[in-house]
Amino acid sequence: MALWGMVIDLDRCTGCQACVMACKAENNVPAVGPKEASRERIISWMQVLTEEDKEHPDGKLRFLPRPCLHCDDPPCTKVCPVYATYRDPEGIVAQIYARCIGCRFCMAACPYNAKYFNWHTYQKEGPGQNPDVSVRQKGIVEKCTFCHHRLQKARERALAEHREIEPGEYVPACAEACPARAIVFGDLSDPSSEVSKLARSPRAFRLQEELGTKPKVIYLTEGEARG
Amino acid sequence: MDRPHPLPDRTVKILQWAMAGGFILFVGAIVTWIIHLIRTAWWLRDVPSASIGISLVAIPVFLVLLGVVLYVFWGLLTDRSER
Amino acid sequence: MADPADTRDAILLAPIERTGRGFYWAVAILSLGVLWGAVAYAVQLDGGLGVTGLHQPVSWGFYVTNFVFFIGISHAGTLISAILRLSRAEWRRPITRMAEVITVMVLFIGAGQILVDLGRPDRVMNVIRHGRYQSPLLWDATSISAYLTASLVYLWLPMIPDIAILRDRLGKRKFFYTVLALGWQGTERQHKVLNRAIAVMAVLVIPIAVSVHTVVSFVFSMTLQPMWHSTIFGPYFVVGAIFSGIAALIVAMLIFRKAYGLQGYLRPIHFRYLGQLLLVMALLWFYFTFTEYLTGYYGGEVEEMKVFWGKFWGPFSLFFWGMVLANFVIPLFCLVRLERRTIGKVLTASLSVIVGMWLERFIIVVPTLSYPRLPFPEGIYWPTWVEWGETAASFALFALFYLLFTKVFPIISIWEIQEGREVGLKEVEERLLTYLPDTVEPEFTPVDRGG
Repeated sequence: MALWGMVIDLDRCTGCQACVMACKAENNVPAVGPKEASRERIISWMQVLTEEDKEHPDGKLRFLPRPCLHCDDPPCTKVCPVYATYRDPEGIVAQIYARCIGCRFCMAACPYNAKYFNWHTYQKEGPGQNPDVSVRQKGIVEKCTFCHHRLQKARERALAEHREIEPGEYVPACAEACPARAIVFGDLSDPSSEVSKLARSPRAFRLQEELGTKPKVIYLTEGEARG
Repeated sequence: MDRPHPLPDRTVKILQWAMAGGFILFVGAIVTWIIHLIRTAWWLRDVPSASIGISLVAIPVFLVLLGVVLYVFWGLLTDRSER
Repeated sequence: MADPADTRDAILLAPIERTGRGFYWAVAILSLGVLWGAVAYAVQLDGGLGVTGLHQPVSWGFYVTNFVFFIGISHAGTLISAILRLSRAEWRRPITRMAEVITVMVLFIGAGQILVDLGRPDRVMNVIRHGRYQSPLLWDATSISAYLTASLVYLWLPMIPDIAILRDRLGKRKFFYTVLALGWQGTERQHKVLNRAIAVMAVLVIPIAVSVHTVVSFVFSMTLQPMWHSTIFGPYFVVGAIFSGIAALIVAMLIFRKAYGLQGYLRPIHFRYLGQLLLVMALLWFYFTFTEYLTGYYGGEVEEMKVFWGKFWGPFSLFFWGMVLANFVIPLFCLVRLERRTIGKVLTASLSVIVGMWLERFIIVVPTLSYPRLPFPEGIYWPTWVEWGETAASFALFALFYLLFTKVFPIISIWEIQEGREVGLKEVEERLLTYLPDTVEPEFTPVDRGG
């Protein structure tokens, strides 16, 4: 069985936010509007965090694109009282919108703040939305699903053609959109896949590794360009 | 013991035993609920040990509560002795 | 025992028999508070939780603070009354009922906070249908329902003889009292059954109460978040709960003492003892707080320190130091010497502790969420009128429930006071004698052993 994972090369990331926009379009992530944004209620499954570079204080910023890290031992699924968020057999941490009661315990438990809450009704179903992704109502938690609907499509296609899913057949929108090709996606259980190889790189690290959450989004440090 | 206004004794008795019955139903519902949660956890292979561990404490606690309440109902309502 | 000639405790029945204008005023004012909360809740149901001040990093605020706070207050009752009963403290007699009522009423308010806090309250039944015991929220649900059941039973059982008194003496609600009195005639066998049941309940209720606030603390300490993930949170929360519970009990006692003229029953000595208990809990609370913060500070882990400094000197410092002042400094000054002006001092300390413990719950819930581990903007949380409304309504609803209770049942246990006069006095004397070394041998004249 596959174990889906992602490698993000921070050396390649330019901070252009193409991944953020692609994600929003693909997953019907609502634009909350300026008023809500000023109240810190932006929903952004993929978010490019910025941090001042302490080694180069001359106004340089470091970028950290952060989707849901799809931890192998997720702190959020443990605390969910109703099984509305769980780790599926292929390692994707899923969210059941129809089940969620909106207690926000998973948000409080996630050390990466990868979960977002629908504080109001931000959108209704309408034209221009991706029909593969359900539109979330107010009062529930949502987050990055590794574009799970694309996996479902790829799986059905492969099933119809009596074959396995080929590498590169299932890729989330952010990886697809990245112009610098900083985001690589694939099967971590296959040692010959590109993600697996990159994950073994000496530059590879995981966010807050010491917490034991075993994230399946692996970062490559800036190193090659800076030396 | 003489009472100034004798009341419909039957209705009172029925209601009192109905209260006891209601409490049995309540505790029964809670125990059923806990067992249901164990079953769900088992099917989904979703940490059944947690449910079993908690039920080992929770179910006896509710049963003891039920026992105390029934003891009081039985002890007070079936008392035929005069003061 | 239902001797109509005995009019000594008539004042305890007075609030049930007659209703003055003060009662209607109180109900009206409290209803206004409840109305504010109801309007706020309607607005929140319509618009979603966005009408509150909650936002991206701080997803829990006033509601969760209130939840922890009110569940904490509930430890007043049953726990204190059970401990006093088991230790045969004779001064408990006029206090236990008041304490037990607090527990029952406040548990409803506390559990209600969760309903207010949910994004989808219409799906609350999912917790029953699809609940999973790995989540500490289910531990809370189980533990709190056990506590609610136990404390209701523990409120009702010692009230049965009083209900029988009401049934026999009071003209109104006769059917209601007759049913609830379970045919109590005060026979020897009935007394035996009831006393045995009360004793079992008093023992049972203590571990349940301790479990309640322990699992409430587990909601926080089971996560990996800085300044939540702490092993002492269980006992820390329980100590804080008993602390705030005693304070609430003292305030309730003083209000009804004044309103119903119960000065004869609730005497300065009761407040002195409770004040001393409060002082002990204040010291214990400080000890736990000190230990908790010192270990965090000494370890100096980066994420812990962000939250730590946020509380110490940062945007939460006002609340933090306010909490230290209200929970430790003021009670200490008020309660060290209680010989003179007992009532005023105990009341000041108790009000201060109630404010301080609310701040403590707030200072535990919010700052941790305000300082995310990753480089996010730090979140400052300020509630809107909706959260203020729900909070005001919670307090008002609690007071209203309490007030209505006193109109239906006696707020001081009549039969236990009588028992104190008739049985307790002699029993204490006999018991006291058994504590002493061979002072009473009937045919033995005490020998003056000299110096």
